[in-house]
Amino acid sequence: MLDRCGLTSHHAVEFPLQGSSMIVQQDPTPTVVLGQWEEALNVIAIHRDKQLYAELFKYFAPRLRAFGIKMFGNEQQAMEMVQDTMLNVWQKAALFDASRGCASTWIFTIARNVRFDMLRKKQSRKDDISADDLWSDGDYPEQEGSHSQQWDLYLIAEKIAPHFHALPPAQRLVMEKVYLDELSHQEVSEQLSIPLGTVKSRIRLALDRLREAIDGPRS
Amino acid sequence: MAHAVKFHPSLSLLEQYTEGTLAAELSLVVAAHLDFCPHCQQLRHDIEADIGCQLAQQKAVNADGAEWQQMLQQILSPDASQVTAATTAPETFATHIEQGQHRIEIPRSLQRLAAKRKKWLQLGGIATAKLPSGDDNHLSLLLIESNTEVPLHTHKGLEITLVLAGEMVDEMGKYAAGDLIINTPDHTHTPKNISNEPCLCLSVLTAPLEFKQGLTRLLNPLQRFFY
Repeated sequence: MLDRCGLTSHHAVEFPLQGSSMIVQQDPTPTVVLGQWEEALNVIAIHRDKQLYAELFKYFAPRLRAFGIKMFGNEQQAMEMVQDTMLNVWQKAALFDASRGCASTWIFTIARNVRFDMLRKKQSRKDDISADDLWSDGDYPEQEGSHSQQWDLYLIAEKIAPHFHALPPAQRLVMEKVYLDELSHQEVSEQLSIPLGTVKSRIRLALDRLREAIDGPRS
Repeated sequence: MAHAVKFHPSLSLLEQYTEGTLAAELSLVVAAHLDFCPHCQQLRHDIEADIGCQLAQQKAVNADGAEWQQMLQQILSPDASQVTAATTAPETFATHIEQGQHRIEIPRSLQRLAAKRKKWLQLGGIATAKLPSGDDNHLSLLLIESNTEVPLHTHKGLEITLVLAGEMVDEMGKYAAGDLIINTPDHTHTPKNISNEPCLCLSVLTAPLEFKQGLTRLLNPLQRFFY
């Protein structure tokens, strides 16, 4: 089985991600491979399992130390970074999201942020730029859609935009309310005081016009 | 409609940013670019995954022995969580920049620092406000009114500008929100806002500006204004 994290996983499981969009044709369903440490983090988050955490600690703490010595060139600071990072891993395990990357990737991002803020504190630049400013989802405080999906939408939006503006005003208005304001057909019908059937037919006409503008007339 | 960002940081700049080895002020410009650019966000995640993999494959002996055991006990002790909880102070954030009659939305990565900006200095159609930064690199917001030209200048160091809102043109092209413009000391350029909207930029300067042309050279004290 594919092991994205380059780690031996003794009980990997695979599950499909939810991915749906009205406009975008999705690639074959992406899969998430849960390895040993990804599962361990989930169990630690749910059960606060100290024994399992100790196993994770035994593996990652010395590797973080080696990493830290490379970054700091200094054993004492490296150990301080390890302790702070591993404390964050214990406290924030619930924020780990395997669909967004491996356990080791998540742990690295925490270590990077800890290191950045340590250096900043040592220079007593208190009012200054912090890791939270720079790497917003370093430990995933906020939920967003898949980035590549967002990117696809951007590209499609760029491609559609000029044609969208060329739609007849009545059709464009309905399209804006449905696709930009994300109103239901019923809500649009009420807001504009037009029959539901008219909302639906305007959408069909507009979609057809957009398709024609992009793909050329149907043969 | 969404605008696709055209001018991106180089891959090596993205790598240094992701590793955490790039200077803080430059990192902030890259972070703000990423707020606009899903493409570079994806690259950042790929770089993180790559480094995470290197971390996991780092050659090291599993933790054993008294020192590691002690660290583990400290982490798992109930007081550890209270210590971190006590040190987090409430922060203020500014979701918009207000200057004169303008009110412009700013990306997430700038919202905490924007609340700490210094006061606006106004000169003709250009206003600038410093953000807190270190000694080597100066970080500021620059607001260029519509139909305003920034005087011709070169720079001794790097000048990195990120458009946050509105549009700007120079000899090299046209820039809009999310576009990153890097000028080296060799570049002489005249940025202009020829649109009908104000243009807000984030700018990092690594050395004082030097004005080149006619009257503006006499106004050299100006360089302090931009630096």
